[in-house]
Amino acid sequence: MANVGVLRFPGTNCDQDVIQLCESQGLPAKYLWYQDRFSHQDYKHLIIPGGFSFGDYLRCGALAARSPAMKDVAAAAKHGTPILGICNGFQILCESGLLPGVLMKNEKNRFIDRWVQLNCVTGSQFFGKNNSAGARYRFPIAHGEGRFFAQENQLKEIQDNQQIWLKYENNPNGSLLDIAGITNKEKNVHGLMPHPERAIFQWMGGTDGAGFIR
Amino acid sequence: MIAEKLKKYRISESEHQKITELLGRPPEGLEWALFSALWSEHCSYKSSKVHLRKFSYHNDRTKGQTLDGENAGVVDLGKGERIIFKMESHNHPSFIEPFHGAATGVGGILRDIFTMGARPIALANYLCFGALSAPRMKMLLRGVVDGISHYGNCVGVPMLSGKTQFSEKYNNNILVNAMAVGYLGKNDVIASSKAGNQELLVIYVGAKTGADGVHGASMASESFTSNNESKRPNIQIGDPFLEKLLIEACLEVIQQKLVVAIQDMGAAGLTSSSFEMSAKSGRGFDMDLAQVPLRQELTPEDILLSESQERMLLLCTAENKQKIFDIFSRWGLDAVQIGTVSNDSKIKLRWGQETLCEIEPRLLTDHAPRYERDFQEWKRPLVPMSQVQNLSDLPKVVWETESYDPVSIYEQYDQRVGGKTVRGCDQSVGFVRLPETGRGLAVALGCRSQILKLNAQLGGFDAAYFPAFQMASKGAYPVAMTDCLNFGNPEKVEIMTEFVECISQIAKMAEVLDAPVISGNVSFYNETQNQNIISTPAVGQVGLSDFTDLSEIPFDDVETLKTQKAKTDFSQMSLVCLWSDEVWKNEQYGFFGQLNVERLNAQRNDLKKAILDHKPGLSKALGFGTLQEELEKILQKTSASSKVSSEWGGSLRQKLQQLSPKLSAADAGCFEPLYRVVVLVENSKVKDFQKSTGSFSSVVVPLSGVL
Repeated sequence: MANVGVLRFPGTNCDQDVIQLCESQGLPAKYLWYQDRFSHQDYKHLIIPGGFSFGDYLRCGALAARSPAMKDVAAAAKHGTPILGICNGFQILCESGLLPGVLMKNEKNRFIDRWVQLNCVTGSQFFGKNNSAGARYRFPIAHGEGRFFAQENQLKEIQDNQQIWLKYENNPNGSLLDIAGITNKEKNVHGLMPHPERAIFQWMGGTDGAGFIR
Repeated sequence: MIAEKLKKYRISESEHQKITELLGRPPEGLEWALFSALWSEHCSYKSSKVHLRKFSYHNDRTKGQTLDGENAGVVDLGKGERIIFKMESHNHPSFIEPFHGAATGVGGILRDIFTMGARPIALANYLCFGALSAPRMKMLLRGVVDGISHYGNCVGVPMLSGKTQFSEKYNNNILVNAMAVGYLGKNDVIASSKAGNQELLVIYVGAKTGADGVHGASMASESFTSNNESKRPNIQIGDPFLEKLLIEACLEVIQQKLVVAIQDMGAAGLTSSSFEMSAKSGRGFDMDLAQVPLRQELTPEDILLSESQERMLLLCTAENKQKIFDIFSRWGLDAVQIGTVSNDSKIKLRWGQETLCEIEPRLLTDHAPRYERDFQEWKRPLVPMSQVQNLSDLPKVVWETESYDPVSIYEQYDQRVGGKTVRGCDQSVGFVRLPETGRGLAVALGCRSQILKLNAQLGGFDAAYFPAFQMASKGAYPVAMTDCLNFGNPEKVEIMTEFVECISQIAKMAEVLDAPVISGNVSFYNETQNQNIISTPAVGQVGLSDFTDLSEIPFDDVETLKTQKAKTDFSQMSLVCLWSDEVWKNEQYGFFGQLNVERLNAQRNDLKKAILDHKPGLSKALGFGTLQEELEKILQKTSASSKVSSEWGGSLRQKLQQLSPKLSAADAGCFEPLYRVVVLVENSKVKDFQKSTGSFSSVVVPLSGVL
């Protein structure tokens, strides 16, 4: 059994980066092609990497969310498998309804690549540092559409259920409530815009993402 | 009738005569279009080829690696790792349609790299704009940056280095040069564009062909008139998503050794790719243009000349055809057989059963005209400092240029996708980590048009030297370079003179730096209504770092250093300010000194070695601004910059009065060295550091109480 299944869509471009993260932790990982079905029982974790799946046609993540492999991601989510969507992966999870809300164009309508400081609001059992509520992370962001938005009632629900995982210290894109990452109600499906896999070695400029998969 | 045709196909009368001699009759039918495209300046290098031979220097890393006529040069880094890189211009299309022009510039240069089997691991871009107050200029800047960011980010190749300059000399002709670096590991194969002797099929893969870019190559070989709007249909439209799929599919078929030869369809599209492959292989192609997948109805001539993006031509055996089709289909891409490789040497173009044209490809590739345009020897050496006395006798200069790389530009580029980036384009030298050996690969760009505007000799030298000097400030050294020679109208003697001088300087530096020129591109006719751009020979350098721990590569500025090493105690440190006495800049009168290449190169070597030995957290070669401006970028605190710049300025004046005893103190205050660097060194190691950089002049400013 591979520990980590890494989803790959046409246009995914952070796939090798996620494999590098898995390798750095000694976790065997395997690519899952968007057209192929898989069984959630074969994977301990599932990760949807960043990129421009289907070239961002229609809306970011919209076409990927409707691909065959995502049916099995949904089944895994129901089963309780820890799932992580990074950047475009986050967008795909929102588009497929596994996470609430939507990611819209950045406030200034521009792509931003920058290191940002994050605060952990509600700690995750599966990703990030141990006992992580209150922990700080420094990760790069690289996105054009990362402004988190949800309807008022949805946002209230997210807060009431403690689904806010990570917040920006200096909001770079206009996200509601400075949200950088959220989880589902059951706390097994995670999405974040910043890239922990780009901060795992000192030579990358930061190591806060080292050991991110727990 | 003939005159009209000559004009339409941009063929000169003497060229028409030459074509008639070659064919034994005047050209007819499709031949017009073929000659127009392949004999264009853009495809044939007819005005530059005789001078480009000067780039003949090779070393063990590049000897035998650069296959003749391949898309880009190969550098063997040892331990099984090889890189391929090239820089190319997309100036004319970007001026007409900035977003798509710049985007397709990135797409085109990437295809030059992965067509050889190398995975693109880094991008760089060199941009020159007009004054921001000029008509359309803000829109052009925004459009170009958006186009590069749109394309590069989506294909997932990190932007490692960027350089942006502004001068009103580019008001009517901006420059957009894109560079890509590809990587081949131990087990990766290099693909060729040359066919062997077996029976082969001609396969077309990628995007469908549309009317975009028809006559693009010949357009790029012509000066602008005021009526540029009418050229809009010549602009190609790119799709980075298709390119990303094409990268993955092409690398898969190449690395599985399913293709015999492969070539991207760049300038002059299907014509140049098929004719070049055929001529190089000495084997004919029999192609049915009716088989080419079309986006819209097109004539055979349009199909041949379309520069639609994201298309490749490949040759394979019948046996591998289905395997290749399967791989492309899995990536959602079209693959179609459009012909076969024949045993004679001719290209036969058909529409179904009807033969449209049959021609020997070498007539178009090898027999293109060669022009020895008039030029003069360079006769304006620098005036040595020792001879400078009454400045007021000298003519004043006008700079009209500024250079800045605002954060808002580089933040729009994804600098870290791929998980290999060590330093992005916010630093003066970008670095990626090579996957198999963990070595640091440096990327830096050269050519400061401020210098070129006043002195093409010094500017040509500097284009190759300054990026190497910047690398030295990071403990790295160049291994090879590429160039993108942007010039005005080569039919003008003064332009050709600058062109020839720049090539001589870059060629000489290739040898001095031991960094061969492995690929390049010439862009002439950057001229609008008789106004030529500043001659701009952009240089892209790729180097290696000898740091075993890449996190030790020094940073550009205090701010970044503090985020990385929060415990840095500046009170125990000094700023060692080093400068070369060789070349000086005077705000009002231009450049002085001597171009002692050997000495400047020795200084570069000393700097590199001292940085490796001392591992300072901060080290940066200063840019073109005044001391105060440059120091503010590094120290980010005005009071600290003022203190350092006043102490440094004092030492400079003293030194100048030694070099030039007749210079008044006031005049001495107006000179600044062109090559200068600041290094943050622990107080206890300052003496040692100064000793190892003894070929420079230096001044030490303790930072206690300053930072």
